[in-house]
Amino acid sequence: MKKIFLIIGLASAVTFGFKSHEGGVYKSNTGNINFYSHTSVEDISADNHKVKTAFDATSGKMQYSVLVKDFEFEKALMQEHFNENYMESTKYPKSTFNGTIDKIANINFSKDGTYTSPVSGKLTIKDVTKDVATTGTFIVKGSTVNAKAVFNINPRDYNISIPKAVANKIAQELKISVDVDYVHQH
Amino acid sequence: MKKILLLILSLGVAIGAYVAYSMYNKKHTNVGETKPVASLSALDLFTAFENDETEAMTKFADQVVAVSGDIYTVDLSNEKEPQLVLAANGDNGYIRCGFKPEELEKIKTLEAGNNVELKGECKGVNAPEGLDLLADIDVVLSSCIIIE
Repeated sequence: MKKIFLIIGLASAVTFGFKSHEGGVYKSNTGNINFYSHTSVEDISADNHKVKTAFDATSGKMQYSVLVKDFEFEKALMQEHFNENYMESTKYPKSTFNGTIDKIANINFSKDGTYTSPVSGKLTIKDVTKDVATTGTFIVKGSTVNAKAVFNINPRDYNISIPKAVANKIAQELKISVDVDYVHQH
Repeated sequence: MKKILLLILSLGVAIGAYVAYSMYNKKHTNVGETKPVASLSALDLFTAFENDETEAMTKFADQVVAVSGDIYTVDLSNEKEPQLVLAANGDNGYIRCGFKPEELEKIKTLEAGNNVELKGECKGVNAPEGLDLLADIDVVLSSCIIIE
């Protein structure tokens, strides 16, 4: 009898006690995206801390949605120009990414550690969609995953026209940095 | 005559430089000192965006709005911007309110279920279309302060 209880106890521990985080969806509503422009005249940086994002740990599908107006600049005037002149953020309020973690099998969600994988997909800004690709770093710790990635975009690819008068202040390539703490959804 | 012209010209240049400098260093909206364009419940603000995003953007975007409602969750997962999530429309609709880090101590005294009134700058609605993993919808406020 004791043996039976022991077996049932062990089976329960394996089933319920040692939770695996393989599979399922990881999500965050508080991701960080920074964009940075460097020229000899001026450095411009802006942050958004309410990025909505999730990925599927089985298929590798990864999605982001960010409100353009929620990028905060150090200078109010820059923020105003960014929204009104360049991004037309009332007309195009969101930017999105719809892609995949291409080698999701590289990441062992059951084992704490640092993993990398190519990430690629379609980035939509101002209703213009372009393919982008980068390498993501994924730090697994229990039921959380910190993901980081950096890539560059050319604003002209997304119909963001920079007036000649300020062309020397805004870089040809903008650096986009992503840093998100995802939590496994039960 | 020349001296007067020179004086006027110098004065013009000085005023121009001052205006340009002031514009360049223009301050961000001080939410605490700004009268809200509207005071409404979390549900009413959410419904305004759900019914007609374009109209709601015209009314509220970049404006200070006062909102009251029940806290769904206190979200301190991003230390750069502590956030309160107000319940608005069941499991799918929320008002996500971001605060400056200096408001953190006040936020920590709150918990889910508390009723709050706050004001913040409305940034729009994050309602991703065609992105199946991101189903829930947030109306977003930033630089919020607690009224009571």
